[in-house]
Amino acid sequence: MIRTGVLLLCLALAPLSAQAHRVVAAAYPAGEMIEGEVGFSNGDMAAHQLIEVFGDDGTRLGEAMTDANGVFRYRPDRQGRHVFRADLGAGHVAEFELGADEIAAILGQPADAPAASLAGLSEADRAAIASMLRDELRPLRREIAALKERNGMQSILGGIGYIAGLFGLGFYLAARRRLRG
Amino acid sequence: MHIVDGALAGEVVIGGAVLAAGGIALGLRHLPLERIPAAGVLSAAFFVASLVHVPVGPSSVHLILNGLAGLVLGWAAFPALFVGLLLQAVFFGFGGLTVLGVNTVAIALPAVIVHYLFRRGVTQGAPLSAAIWAGMGGALAIALTAGAVGAALALSGAGFVPAAKLVLVAHVPVMAIEGVLTATAVYLAAQVKPDLFDTLKGRSA
Repeated sequence: MIRTGVLLLCLALAPLSAQAHRVVAAAYPAGEMIEGEVGFSNGDMAAHQLIEVFGDDGTRLGEAMTDANGVFRYRPDRQGRHVFRADLGAGHVAEFELGADEIAAILGQPADAPAASLAGLSEADRAAIASMLRDELRPLRREIAALKERNGMQSILGGIGYIAGLFGLGFYLAARRRLRG
Repeated sequence: MHIVDGALAGEVVIGGAVLAAGGIALGLRHLPLERIPAAGVLSAAFFVASLVHVPVGPSSVHLILNGLAGLVLGWAAFPALFVGLLLQAVFFGFGGLTVLGVNTVAIALPAVIVHYLFRRGVTQGAPLSAAIWAGMGGALAIALTAGAVGAALALSGAGFVPAAKLVLVAHVPVMAIEGVLTATAVYLAAQVKPDLFDTLKGRSA
């Protein structure tokens, strides 16, 4: 009875507690900068963390530091794919990237960017709206990242099912061999 | 506890894969028909145990249960834990597929070592003394695993002493919890199903 209770408790708590342990990192264009954030999947952000930036061919382009909220900014000065790498120690390494087309968009800041509805706005207004939008979207982004990291009940039960199946298959093969021999 | 993709040097990854393959082959040879269900159950327990997180400071660590698997299975812990690790990598993204070999060795080898060190203590004597031996085995397995992870990181360039210290310190609470858990499990098994260890005694070679 107690054992069943403990098992049920473990199973009930498992999905809640299954989030820590992984590094979550993302980078996205922010005006003429690249903005990104690094943290752990339990919601803790990696504060004052060195981010190294590499080019497509592996050359080191530069580095950035995250602030207290785990957010870093980097100003790209060349075209091509950018790869960001953060070593959080103890085997926690995050590698994430921003594609060449997005870098091109940041560098180019093409003149066709302003949409019709924004035509009447000044440069400063547009920048203000853009930064406001980024602030609004940041929690959403974080939530989506956290959601991606969650281990649902399905994957837990699915994994147990796979284990049962694999060992059942092994049992079958071993038994067949014995019956034959 | 799981090392992730990209944290290790290529040589370490390949070396770990070779060692793991050898251990799995050896383990399959040591896995008679009668013990396959036990291996499956322990594999599933290991798979789920990794989801039970223990918060430690800014980070968190999770249960591993490799000591218990080693005590019951011996070399057969290698295939059992490998299956668990493979599914954790696929389903939860713990670790990664390229470092699977290193992770398997880091977790299953301590299990085998604990098996040889503590099997005698667990199979002989009263349930209580068996539980005490098992508790020590469970704690030692975690310490050895932490040491192996530190060594793998050190071989890949990170300074061994800081890396190993960090991993070890983070796992002191896990050692305590796993020790108690393993002891409880063995005590329970010794009370309700002593033949779990009897068959093990019978085939000791």
